[in-house]
Amino acid sequence: MKQKENLMKVIVPVLSILVAFIIGGIIIICLGKNPFQAYGFLFSGAFGSSRKIAQTLVIACPLIFTGLTAAFSYKCGVFNLGGEGQFVMGAVASIFFVTKSGIEGLAGILLSLLIGAAAGALWGAIPGILKITRGLNEMIVSIMLNYAATLFMGYVYTTLLRDGSVPQTFAIPASTKLSVISKSFPVHWGVWIALFLAFAGYYFLFYTSKGFKLRAVGLNSTAAFFNGFPVNRYVLFSFIASGAVAGLGGSVELHGKQLRLMSGFGQGFGFDGVAIALIAQLNPIGTAAVAFIFAILRKGASTLQTGMQIPTAVVDIIQALVIIFAVAGTALLKLPAIRQYINSHMGKKEVTN
Amino acid sequence: MKKTMKTASLIMAAVLTAMSLAACGGKAASEKTESSAAETAKTETTAAETAKEGDTQAAADTKAGGFKVAMVLDSSVSDGGWGASCYQAMVNAAKDSGWETVYTDNVATADYATVMTDYAELGYNLIFAPGNQYTDAVKQVAEEYPEINFALLNGTVETENITSILPDAKQIGYMAGALAGLMSKTNNIGFIGGMELDTTKAKLECYEKAAKKVNPDIKVSSAYAGSFSDTAKGKEIASSMVSTYDVDVMFGDASAVDTGAREALSGLEGRYDIGQPGDLGSADDKIIICSVVTDNAALLKACMKDVEADTFGGQTIYGDLGNGCLSIGTFSNAVPEDIQTQYKEIVGQIQAGTFIQ
Amino acid sequence: MDAFLNMNFLTELLLSTIRMATPILFVALAETYSERAGLVNIGLDGIMSFGALIGFLIGYRSGSPMVGILAGALSGIAINMIYAFCTIRLCAPQIVYGMAINIFAPALASFIYRLSFSDTSTLIQGVSMKALPIPVLSRIPFLGPLFFNHIPLVYAAYLLVPVTTVFFSRTKAGLNFKAVGEFPKAAETLGINVVLQKYLACVICGALAGIGGAYLTICYTSTYSEGIVAGRGFIALSAVIFGRWMPSGVLLACLLFGFCDALQIRLQLLSPSTPYQLLQMIPYLCTLFVLAFFGIRKSGPKANGQPYYREER
Repeated sequence: MKQKENLMKVIVPVLSILVAFIIGGIIIICLGKNPFQAYGFLFSGAFGSSRKIAQTLVIACPLIFTGLTAAFSYKCGVFNLGGEGQFVMGAVASIFFVTKSGIEGLAGILLSLLIGAAAGALWGAIPGILKITRGLNEMIVSIMLNYAATLFMGYVYTTLLRDGSVPQTFAIPASTKLSVISKSFPVHWGVWIALFLAFAGYYFLFYTSKGFKLRAVGLNSTAAFFNGFPVNRYVLFSFIASGAVAGLGGSVELHGKQLRLMSGFGQGFGFDGVAIALIAQLNPIGTAAVAFIFAILRKGASTLQTGMQIPTAVVDIIQALVIIFAVAGTALLKLPAIRQYINSHMGKKEVTN
Repeated sequence: MKKTMKTASLIMAAVLTAMSLAACGGKAASEKTESSAAETAKTETTAAETAKEGDTQAAADTKAGGFKVAMVLDSSVSDGGWGASCYQAMVNAAKDSGWETVYTDNVATADYATVMTDYAELGYNLIFAPGNQYTDAVKQVAEEYPEINFALLNGTVETENITSILPDAKQIGYMAGALAGLMSKTNNIGFIGGMELDTTKAKLECYEKAAKKVNPDIKVSSAYAGSFSDTAKGKEIASSMVSTYDVDVMFGDASAVDTGAREALSGLEGRYDIGQPGDLGSADDKIIICSVVTDNAALLKACMKDVEADTFGGQTIYGDLGNGCLSIGTFSNAVPEDIQTQYKEIVGQIQAGTFIQ
Repeated sequence: MDAFLNMNFLTELLLSTIRMATPILFVALAETYSERAGLVNIGLDGIMSFGALIGFLIGYRSGSPMVGILAGALSGIAINMIYAFCTIRLCAPQIVYGMAINIFAPALASFIYRLSFSDTSTLIQGVSMKALPIPVLSRIPFLGPLFFNHIPLVYAAYLLVPVTTVFFSRTKAGLNFKAVGEFPKAAETLGINVVLQKYLACVICGALAGIGGAYLTICYTSTYSEGIVAGRGFIALSAVIFGRWMPSGVLLACLLFGFCDALQIRLQLLSPSTPYQLLQMIPYLCTLFVLAFFGIRKSGPKANGQPYYREER
């Protein structure tokens, strides 16, 4: 039974991606283009060569971080929508550190990543503290902080750390750049950090007693409270931890890919992360997988546009449809009526087997 | 129970099919006007436009000879300002040179390099980056794809496969400032910038200098919208400039934000705007009294010639009043004859370099 | 600095406050209806951008601003039906569908815009609504231009506030509506059709948010550009929580936000040397400080954000 349920958990997202692609294909036909050629472009753009696969992985990297941020906080029942702000603040703290401290090389990278994570944790702690002490809704606080962080980053790249004529910061020193695996497969090491975090997060949430308590708080905070769990402490912890993940992500993105801050840094990553985590049903490993699918779409969207002049909006539509179908499918399975139906149906099957 | 699920999934399928059909339907409805527009475009000829119409083929026979240019843009090609002018410049230049054009617009800063890499992979002969803000991405991609040529507007980079195109921001600022100074009756003029780019800052500085030169009592109010697309913000900034400082002539360097500013001025008596970089005004325009016109098409055409002759790269093509790439646009009737002559004289001085040393 | 004490400055500041608060007010009221029925909809930004486009497009084609606004409302409803079906019928998580709409609707809008005006590089000027000064009242010095010289939609937005208040606190329908967001199961036993009420809430929410979007392209400016919504949906979302789910509170929150934004732009003009990003932070930080100062003791509708499984009864 359990196995079958798990099977459904995989089938539903796969099926929904398929349906989303079919509808996307219909739209492409309406544009007067060949959908097969279009999808050919999309996938060759994402997988065509080892270089392209590497680029896709690099795009997936920040999405894994922000996805984990969302997954981690929602598991504890708090809606941290501030992934983007925490991501940005992590990068801002890192760029300050690497351009001002003069510490270079491996030590520079490690310290900078640590500082980035700490900044993200601090920024994430604000909505947590305000929620616990003042009863403020974490959603609005974290959204307001997203705007504040983006504007602050703007101040940094146009004024504080501006490099010459264009509004962007100085580049990080070359020795603090995250190295890539190989020239022909240029994936920076941040991707491994992201994957490691996904597995570590999974282990923590599902195989440790702290993780169990955290999930209990998320499922029913009142019950957890009467069971003597320090609910507030768990809530604050999940804010700080998820903020740290996002901040680390921002720092990795800075050291691995962008190398400096400019307008648009981190834009949309926070909300994409939320969508990714929810499609993955808050499972950290699933989050990494879904982030990779999103990255394929993002990378492919650009190739589709340049190669066939299909507006990137079409891929955005496909992406939204994936979300709509995948989550609807999962919800459908959870409906009491459907559950019963599946159970009885599957039960029969088991008998015949 | 089975029924519930079936109905649910049926409804869902129906809703979504309807939606996608609606999307297609919307298309079908608009397609008519679109194709008739395309028809007129075709009768006006243009290899470029036809290439755009059939870009499925364009993608299919990428290797079929003929030169191709691609443009990467952070705003939209229909923003009625910077993006539109640069796009138009590319289309016009391509039309004259018989090139094909494609573009990607609304690209986020962090994605510039990705999009350029894609075009480079597809073997475009020239990639046109219309702004100083693309410098980093252009440098990065140009290094990886040495056989692809890059034209960087407002750039300061010269390598083997990058040519910079540099319209003189100072002259643009002087031209706008002088006219604003001559036309202002309240002695207050305004400037709206999009982002604090160096070219924008230079324009503002020279705008102020020139206005003060022709009218020492002039005061300049300036603000940055922090965006090139927030029309509403442009409108709000402009109307607060008018109400707070009694500003009566404005100049902007912020694409669609400028459009908003002009909207705020419409309906007000005696409040004017100076357009750029295309010739946006006309004789009976109520708001735009004149434009500072940058002929980016001519500059781009020079690049295309170089690509064709295989002599591209390693230089900066300057655009100023001297080589005709900057010019005065159409005056509206609001500008009196005597000011027009006076202004033309000043522009002559700007060209000669004697206006402000 | 004497500009601060100028009467003209003050009038303009307040006028600008009203202008900037109006679209947010529409959308915040939309969310109020939705959340009162227990549906947290964070897809407001998406609905707005779709309403903005369709309102602009239909207004442009028909030449009538009123038709444009109506189209904006209808398109808002249409988009919100995805959210409605998935969250009400399928009991899917509400936050996800809000997010999905935030990705889906702007993409669809930009797609339709491209199809409608493909490859024109001229900026399309749509219709715009004319101001409708109220006779006699608009002549009152100071107050006249401030309150009685606006476009019809502004009056509509502010009239909606007392209407909504009366609806929720004085009418049976309104009380039923609220019951759905507080105790859906109890409401069901009292014979209220919970599912229907929730759909109704989504229709109202979609319509108002669509109008809020269309306001941007028909009343505020008469052009459409991508990103015109610029996060106003999220501001509205926080205005609802800030206003404690009460129309009057929501109005206050929207006005505060509009005021900060209007002030911020004027401060930019007064001191051009201050980095504009710091000034642009004012509205957000101000909201945060006010919130932190007052705190929120009373939280929203009790069943807010929770799915309602009818079968579980």
